[in-house]
Amino acid sequence: MAVPDYFRYYVSGLSVMTLYSAAIFIGFDIYEEAEHGVFEYLLSLPVSRRQLVLGRSIGGGLRSFIYVGPLIAISLYVIGAINPLSFLVSLFALFLFSFGVSGMSITIAVMIKSSDRFDIFMGVLDALIVRLSTAMYPLATVQAANPVYGGIASFNPVTFAADLFRWGTGIEAITTLNNPLLPLLGIIAFFSFFTFVGVVIYDRRIEGGGWQ
Amino acid sequence: MKAIVHILEQDFRNFFRYKWWLVGLISMNLADLFIMAIVYNKMLSTSVQAQITSYFNFFAPGLAVTGLFASAFMIGREINMERRREVHHYMLSLPMTRLELAIGRVLAGGLRGMLYMSPLLATCFIFLGLPSIWEFFLILAVLFLLAIGISGLSIAIAVSTSSLEKFITARGLVYYTLFFCSSVFYPLSLIQDLGKEGKFPAVLVTLAEINPLSTASDMIRNFLLGSPPFLFSSLLSVLAFSAIFTFGAAFAYMKIIERK
Repeated sequence: MAVPDYFRYYVSGLSVMTLYSAAIFIGFDIYEEAEHGVFEYLLSLPVSRRQLVLGRSIGGGLRSFIYVGPLIAISLYVIGAINPLSFLVSLFALFLFSFGVSGMSITIAVMIKSSDRFDIFMGVLDALIVRLSTAMYPLATVQAANPVYGGIASFNPVTFAADLFRWGTGIEAITTLNNPLLPLLGIIAFFSFFTFVGVVIYDRRIEGGGWQ
Repeated sequence: MKAIVHILEQDFRNFFRYKWWLVGLISMNLADLFIMAIVYNKMLSTSVQAQITSYFNFFAPGLAVTGLFASAFMIGREINMERRREVHHYMLSLPMTRLELAIGRVLAGGLRGMLYMSPLLATCFIFLGLPSIWEFFLILAVLFLLAIGISGLSIAIAVSTSSLEKFITARGLVYYTLFFCSSVFYPLSLIQDLGKEGKFPAVLVTLAEINPLSTASDMIRNFLLGSPPFLFSSLLSVLAFSAIFTFGAAFAYMKIIERK
C-alpha cells in the first residue's frame, strides 16, 4: 500500500505536526509565568477570566502560526498549485486547530500544575496523537495495520487538520478525503471544547492566585 | 576510583529523580515501535520489502540506539543547569581531582544511557530473537562505547552553551544531523542509492556511512536478522567517536567550568 508521491504527502503532514508542537508551547509559558510571579499580575488585570483564556489561546495559536509560517510556505512551494478557495478553508481550519491546541495546552497546564508532569504528559500525548493520525500515513494504511489504531486516527484532531490541509492544497487524491465538511466540523468541535471548557477549568483552578 | 564511584552514585540518584520523565520517554519510544513501525510495515515498496522484509524488525534495533542517545544526552541538560545555577562551584569544591570529576560525569551519562536502553534492547531480543553470547557481549560493548561518546558530546555542548535554549537548539541540530544521516530509520543502501542518483549530497552519504549510530544499528541487525552486511572494521568509527568525545568532553568540562 505504497503512497504515491509520499514526499508531498509527508511535507504537508510535517506542517501540521510542527504547528501542533509549536501551539503546545503556550503551556510551558504558563509555568514560567507562575514561577516568576507573573501569573498573579495577569489575574490582577482588568480583564475577565474568559477574555484572558481566549486571548491566550488565540495568542498561542497565532504565535505558532507565525512560527510555522515559513514551513507552510515551503510546503506550498513543494506541493505546487492550489485552489485558492479550498486553501482558504483549510487555512481557516488550521487556525482553529492551532487555537484549539493552545487552549488544550493551557487547560492541561492549569490542571496539572507541575511543569515536570506536564512535560511528561505532553510528551506521551504528542507521541500518541501524532502517530495515531494521518500526519505521516493515510488513514487506509493505519486501518490496514490495526483497526483500533484506525478507529482512533479517524477521530483525531491532527487527522482532521492534516486531511483538510491536504484537501486545501489539492493533494486530496492521496488522502482520499470524501467530505471535507466532517474534518472541518471535527476541528470546530475541538477548538470549541478546549476554548470554552478551558475557561471554566482555568477559572476554577487559578482563582485567588493559588498556583500551588 | 572511589571518587568516580561517588559521582556515578550521585548522577544515578539524579537520574531516578526523573523516573516519570523516563516512563514518558520510554512510552514515546514504544509508540514509535508499536504504532509508527507497524503502520510503516504496510507502506513499504516491493524493492524495500525485498531488502528489509519488515519495517518493525528493521526499526527495533534503531529504536534501541535512539533510546540510548536520548538518555545518554540527558546528562548534558543537568550539567547545563548546574552551570546556570552555579552548582558547579560546589562540585569543584569536592575532595576529588578535576579529572575524576570529569570522567565520573562522562561515565555516569553513558551508564545511565545503557540502563535506559536495556528494556528497548530486551524488546528487540524478544521480537527479533537472541544473539549468540559473544554477539551479545559485543553489542553491549559497542553500545557502551557509543553511550559514553554521546554523553561526552552532550557534556561538551552543555559546558559550551550559556542558556538552556542554546543547549536545546544545539541538541536538536546534533540529533537531526546524526539521526537523519544514519541507518537508524532507513537502510544505508537507500541513502547510498540516493547519493548515486544525485538526490542526496555526497558529504551526507559519507556521514551516514561513518556515523557510529549507523554502525551500532546495523551491527545489531546483522546479529539478529542476518542483514545488512557488517564489517568489524566499521567499529573503528564507534571507537573514534567514543575516544574523541570522552576525552574532549572531560577536557572541556575541566577547563570551562573552572573558568566561570
